[in-house]
Amino acid sequence: MSMAVVTWQRLNVVGKILAIAVPVLIALGLVTVGVAILAGPFAIEFVGDNVPLLRFVAAIGAVLLLTIPTAFVVIFMELKVIARMNLRVGPDRVGPYGTAMSVVHGLKFLSKEDFAPLGVDLQVFTIAPVVVFVGSVMTFLVIPFAPGLFGLDMNVGVLYLFAMGGLTVVGLLMAGWASFNKYSLLGGLRSAAQMVSYEIPLTLSLVGVVLLAGTMSLNQMVLAQSGSIADWYVWQQPLAFVIFIIAGIAEANRSPFDLTEADQEIVAGFATEYSGMRFGFFFFAEYVNVFVVSALIVTFFLGGWTAPFDWPFPVAVAIDPLAWGVGSLVAILALPVVGTLVLAAPFWLSSRITTLQALVIGFILFNVVAIGLVLGWAFVSLDWVSGLFWFFAKSYVFVFFFVWLRGSLPRVRIDQLMGFAWKWLLPAALLNIFVTAAAIVIVNR
Amino acid sequence: MTELWYVVGFAVVGVAFVFLVIGLSWLITHRNRGDEHKGRPYESGIDTFGDTWGRFGISYYIYALLFVAFDIEIVFIYLWALVFRDLLLGGFVAMLVFVLILLVGLGYAWRKGVLTWR
Repeated sequence: MSMAVVTWQRLNVVGKILAIAVPVLIALGLVTVGVAILAGPFAIEFVGDNVPLLRFVAAIGAVLLLTIPTAFVVIFMELKVIARMNLRVGPDRVGPYGTAMSVVHGLKFLSKEDFAPLGVDLQVFTIAPVVVFVGSVMTFLVIPFAPGLFGLDMNVGVLYLFAMGGLTVVGLLMAGWASFNKYSLLGGLRSAAQMVSYEIPLTLSLVGVVLLAGTMSLNQMVLAQSGSIADWYVWQQPLAFVIFIIAGIAEANRSPFDLTEADQEIVAGFATEYSGMRFGFFFFAEYVNVFVVSALIVTFFLGGWTAPFDWPFPVAVAIDPLAWGVGSLVAILALPVVGTLVLAAPFWLSSRITTLQALVIGFILFNVVAIGLVLGWAFVSLDWVSGLFWFFAKSYVFVFFFVWLRGSLPRVRIDQLMGFAWKWLLPAALLNIFVTAAAIVIVNR
Repeated sequence: MTELWYVVGFAVVGVAFVFLVIGLSWLITHRNRGDEHKGRPYESGIDTFGDTWGRFGISYYIYALLFVAFDIEIVFIYLWALVFRDLLLGGFVAMLVFVLILLVGLGYAWRKGVLTWR
């Protein structure tokens, strides 16, 4: 073997990641600088000419990149909240308060052997995680995050959502079938039966919302609920709200409806034979799904990005430093120095803190204050910042609720699960549709 | 047409992302063939016997059939819900009849015991 191969094999995983990442990053940086110098003037012209194309690229990049931190936050919440409910501490070693734990989970999956057992149907086995992951991530495309901030305002948004939800069923069934393992097959078929059954009440419960809003576009639905807390559809559709939450938990394969991966019965269900990054994507998709279901509950019933109350002061301050003149610019540049000194002064008076420590503390405090001020200003004056805040705040309340359910409820039996969907939720959802329709008929007479 | 391109672009980038990450993982991790036991299906430590891809319980199949019936119904109900404000009473009665016919089917399945898991 040549020298290079031996060196490569001696590196540990972090070394291998760095050995690939560092040259790639350096090359990318050089290329970026070169392109920026050579193509700068043309790029500005190109941006002006191709706004729709750039919006397309930006939307796809932003929405896909959003899924990664979302999944990390949901995983961290699950670890920490479940631990607290079990009277444990939970992750507290990696990063501040263990917040980097889910990133470490991701890196661990990345560093595990990419392995397929004997006898599997290799093509299907490889494609299954892709289908599951893409199916759950693509729902992000139509979710409105803030006023005017969405991947795509689709006029058949609700149908698109359920089409993408259907992809997950196919993916899980593929995983179960291809694994060449009886437990996997049982898990895959169970998940197909369960998700297919709960998709009916899930879809039917939304008909009431569509009846009220008169549109299937998610963005239009949120706009129809804007105003105050009284305009949210949860007050007009309480039954649909409850059905949607129950069926949503079942669709996301979450406890107490996690029959598909019931460890005590069928090992790990469809994921039994999966390991490494392939399992990682199932794991990832599950937590993305938890967030998606929470976001959909918020979008359909709790007003999406709208604030629960009317914002009392409509501040829209536009900052244009260029118009302020040279003196103001000097003041802005001087602000960090003056602010640091002022904030460091009280600490400097203490005899136990050296001058350097006082300056460092002052600088950190100044940064905290400045970031707080900028965020506060953005929150009151930029619609989409407050929209994002309310959207994520409401969504994470429901993520917490899902984790709470997992921490407190035992798993149901499969006959109870299937009977509940067909005998209770389905008639209740149909009843909800006709009560809503009758109310609309009476109101519009 | 733009909408279609968004969906296609999103799917392509998503699939590419998954394969890139799995490829990266394949590149940086060790590979160990092990012996034949490593590749055996994990069935709680017991060697697998019988045909894995063999016959399977029929109850799953019946749920799928019921699902198809109701899913098609849902497509109609959504279209009806979109234009309901123009139809009002007439639309209400028409949909009531439509759903009642389907409910007869559901009632039949219920009576036959299909909805009870066996």
